[in-house]
Amino acid sequence: MKKEMTKLGITLALFASLACASLAVVYSFTKDRIERQNEIQLNASLKELFPEATVFEPVEGLASSDPGVKFEAAYAIRTDSAPLGMAVKAKGQSYGGDAVLLIGVDLRRSIVGVRVMELKDTPGLGANATNPGYFVDKAKKLTFPGQFAGKYLTDPFEVKKDVIAITASTITSRSLTNIIKKTGDAIVAYMDQMAVVAPAAGETTDNVAADSQNQAGGK
Amino acid sequence: MKKLYSVFKQGIIYENPLLMLMIGLCSAIAVTTNVSNGIGMGLAMTFVLLFSEIIISLFRKVIPSAVRIPVFIIVIAAFTTMVDLVMKAYFPDLSKSMGVFIPLIVVNCIIMGRVEAFASKQKLAAVIADSLGMGLGYTWVLIGIAAVRELLGNGTFAGLQVMPDSFQPILFFILPPGGFFVFGLFISFNIWLKKRMEVTARARELAARKEAA
Repeated sequence: MKKEMTKLGITLALFASLACASLAVVYSFTKDRIERQNEIQLNASLKELFPEATVFEPVEGLASSDPGVKFEAAYAIRTDSAPLGMAVKAKGQSYGGDAVLLIGVDLRRSIVGVRVMELKDTPGLGANATNPGYFVDKAKKLTFPGQFAGKYLTDPFEVKKDVIAITASTITSRSLTNIIKKTGDAIVAYMDQMAVVAPAAGETTDNVAADSQNQAGGK
Repeated sequence: MKKLYSVFKQGIIYENPLLMLMIGLCSAIAVTTNVSNGIGMGLAMTFVLLFSEIIISLFRKVIPSAVRIPVFIIVIAAFTTMVDLVMKAYFPDLSKSMGVFIPLIVVNCIIMGRVEAFASKQKLAAVIADSLGMGLGYTWVLIGIAAVRELLGNGTFAGLQVMPDSFQPILFFILPPGGFFVFGLFISFNIWLKKRMEVTARARELAARKEAA
């Protein structure tokens, strides 16, 4: 009996290790490509949000006010001479698991645009947030993420009031809106802080900081 | 050869996994909201089915029957993860739209069912014929249901607008109840088709016997 059990265990372990080994091979073959695909996608989306930008500089230190919304990466975006705004890759809970969004905010504290990078919601319903042919406003040809472009962060961001929901996907609409609002607020707070804090840090940054403060203030 | 063909043929109409065996329905209803999802899911699932059945058939004599189910699951999960990784690397758009349903192939009853009922007892050639037949049977039903649901529910076919702009999409067909509705129609169509094929087969047999007499 005991011998039989050991034999079963060993057979099972053998199959498991074989499966693991073959998975490891496939993983190592596809890993680079998957990472590159994600990077290409991210860069393309950043460029779409800020077409004039030439510098995408990773920054750190953005704090999320909502524990359910995490920031994976943040970029300060500039042309060669002037700052343009910021973009943040944020991750938060949606209907079918985590959703990853890229949110761009300009110096006027309005949202430049939103791109959905990853979403696992129901195909045909919540997943319509990623469908470029699905319009929440058919007359204006606005997609769900598209409707946020140009929106000021002082707006209420309430689904079914100033945000048009995806039909039959209230949870997706609400969670994505929440991620966008929380991320936008954090970006604005960060930009405010930088403009205030920067002059004390060193004389040389004075001009740039004053500049961005002016622009940030003059919305 | 003729035997292999008859095994292959079983999965398409007579023992269609969705319409006759009625297994693996959950993901079938869920992904059939547009045609490209249907094609992608059908191919991914056929791939996993084919390779899982091949491996299980090759190793069927060394798998102790007491632990066969865990071994099947390990094999199926490994192939599913491979498909998932390869899709992410080479077809990022498709992988995005399929979302959670690729990982869910692991728990698709069709694969488990065919591996347990067929691959663990049969030789390699028969197993390949069976998995291709079952895969094709699964894929055509997915594409069929998806075509009806996408056309009526969204006015498009594989993402291309085909209905005139004045057509108001019937959201019902995209929602799960509409899925069941279309699915039910496909089941009755398949039963009708099967009956007809049986009748013609019997008639042909009778004719042949009469001739022989």
